[in-house]
Amino acid sequence: MSVEVKGLHFSYGRIKALNAVDISLPGGAIGLLGPNGAGKSTLLRILLGFLKPDRGEGTVLGYNIKNQQQLIRRYVGYMPEDDCLITGIDAVSFTSYMGELSGMPRQEAMKRAHEVLFYVGLEESRYRNLETYSAGMRQRLKLAQALVHDPKLIFLDEPTSGLDPQGRQEILELILDVSAKKDIQVLISSHILPDIEGVCSYVLILNKGQVASQGNLDDLKQVNYSLYELKIKGEEAGFVKGLESMKCRVEQTEDGLLKVYMPPDASPQQIFHLAAREKQQIRHFVKSQTSLEDLFAKVVGVD
Amino acid sequence: MTIKEKGYAHWDGNFVAKKFPWWPITRYGIKLTFRRKFFKLLFIMALAPGLVFLAGIYISERLEDFRFMIQGDTQFLSIDPTYFKAYFTNEFMLFMIVMMLIFCGAGLISDDLKFNSLQLYFSRPISKSDYFMGKAAVIVFFVFVVTLIPGLIFIIMKLLFAGNFEFLAKYPWLPFSVIGYSFLVTIFFSFYTLFLSSINKNRRYVAILIFGLYIFTDILFEIFEDIFRSEYFSLLSIRANIQQVGYALFRQNTPHDVPWVLALAVIVGFCVLGGFVLKSKIKGVEIVK
Repeated sequence: MSVEVKGLHFSYGRIKALNAVDISLPGGAIGLLGPNGAGKSTLLRILLGFLKPDRGEGTVLGYNIKNQQQLIRRYVGYMPEDDCLITGIDAVSFTSYMGELSGMPRQEAMKRAHEVLFYVGLEESRYRNLETYSAGMRQRLKLAQALVHDPKLIFLDEPTSGLDPQGRQEILELILDVSAKKDIQVLISSHILPDIEGVCSYVLILNKGQVASQGNLDDLKQVNYSLYELKIKGEEAGFVKGLESMKCRVEQTEDGLLKVYMPPDASPQQIFHLAAREKQQIRHFVKSQTSLEDLFAKVVGVD
Repeated sequence: MTIKEKGYAHWDGNFVAKKFPWWPITRYGIKLTFRRKFFKLLFIMALAPGLVFLAGIYISERLEDFRFMIQGDTQFLSIDPTYFKAYFTNEFMLFMIVMMLIFCGAGLISDDLKFNSLQLYFSRPISKSDYFMGKAAVIVFFVFVVTLIPGLIFIIMKLLFAGNFEFLAKYPWLPFSVIGYSFLVTIFFSFYTLFLSSINKNRRYVAILIFGLYIFTDILFEIFEDIFRSEYFSLLSIRANIQQVGYALFRQNTPHDVPWVLALAVIVGFCVLGGFVLKSKIKGVEIVK
């Protein structure tokens, strides 16, 4: 397990940011999801040793989060959400500086800085002053500094925020490449669900400082419910009411489609029985793939 | 070239256990200072008094050769603790140190606060004290260049030019005074600059504070001294406190009728206060409550 945490509590004054959090994350790419204020950034900060937990314990790559923060930071890369840089220097100097601070010898850090800047696609502009970088270039640079010391695990806090669709796609490709082919574990905190769905195989969903759900993405999507999309002819209200009485969650789309989330123990035949009872015609019936968005909405309790 | 063509390669080197993990911070701080406009000129100007005093030491040992220049008045070229005191505590020297601090120290922490880079530092295996040491060492470097280094060079050159150890035998405590005073000034200005740099995110504002506070405390001292006719108001002045302790360390009569220990207490008190502020300001994350 790359990250293991038991009974983690943390408060900002009276506000409980994390409340009895137990997590056990395997390797690979892991998505950390949750609405604003769920405790995602707090969890990352505790794992990196920026904040001390009030209670609880945990390990990152086998190192204790309470007294081995320096070792954790040596083997973990961190890409912060905020726009952060060091002024007055170019990208090569910046990246090698970060490598040196991680404990790399000076010349090795410089050599490695060139390599990672090539990797993230900043080879042409690596001698430009950081102040002249665009938002997309800064995101890539933040990824480069997180990779310079060849970490075993990287924490990415909102890695695609502020990027245009193409830039976002390129960053996601890099993350996917690093996690899938380079044996580097990745923990991505994001509120952009398709990003997580495209890159991660395991998700951890936090809500109000507690773990709302965690597990393999495919399993979670399958186990929790089955999703059917259907269209009916006639009065919808009574039919929807009937579905809800069967413990189904129903969403109506603008084009008149009904998305029905059925409990795992329910059978789709019940929908047809209901339609017969309500004297409705089912004009369209498809078993649909559940998306991460659906799972998120279900466990967090938002539409 | 796209990212895929180049690819990612693992690093096959080994991390080294660095004795001074803060050294890269210092190196970059010094490097960036020298890149600042007009700093090189200022640096040379700050070194000028040292060269003049060094020339004085040389001339003092070659009075016969330079008699035409000094026209019989050899009094000002007697090399003794007064000569050292004159170099270390003269107002121009202190002023030049403050000017250098504006260039080398104003942005040391304020830039990191402005550009959110503290989290970049603290996501590396360095501690708060490493960060502080790295930043403080930038100031230490520039202040030592005009205090400790010239002071020790003066003593060595005096011995070399004289060709004997008579000077050292006469004033065996002088090297310790030079070292003690240099450390005092350097430690004080390190805390002074880092404290001011940590309280604002705008380096220009910090630069004004570094210069303004130094001048303002001096003006305050002179105004109060004029009104109340008490030399104890010298304790309000940064310059006066440093000079007071400096005179005492070089075993000279202090310029103000105030125990020099009080001046030292003010300096130490400021450093302690600065240390507390720095401790609370330097954090990996800014928590908005």
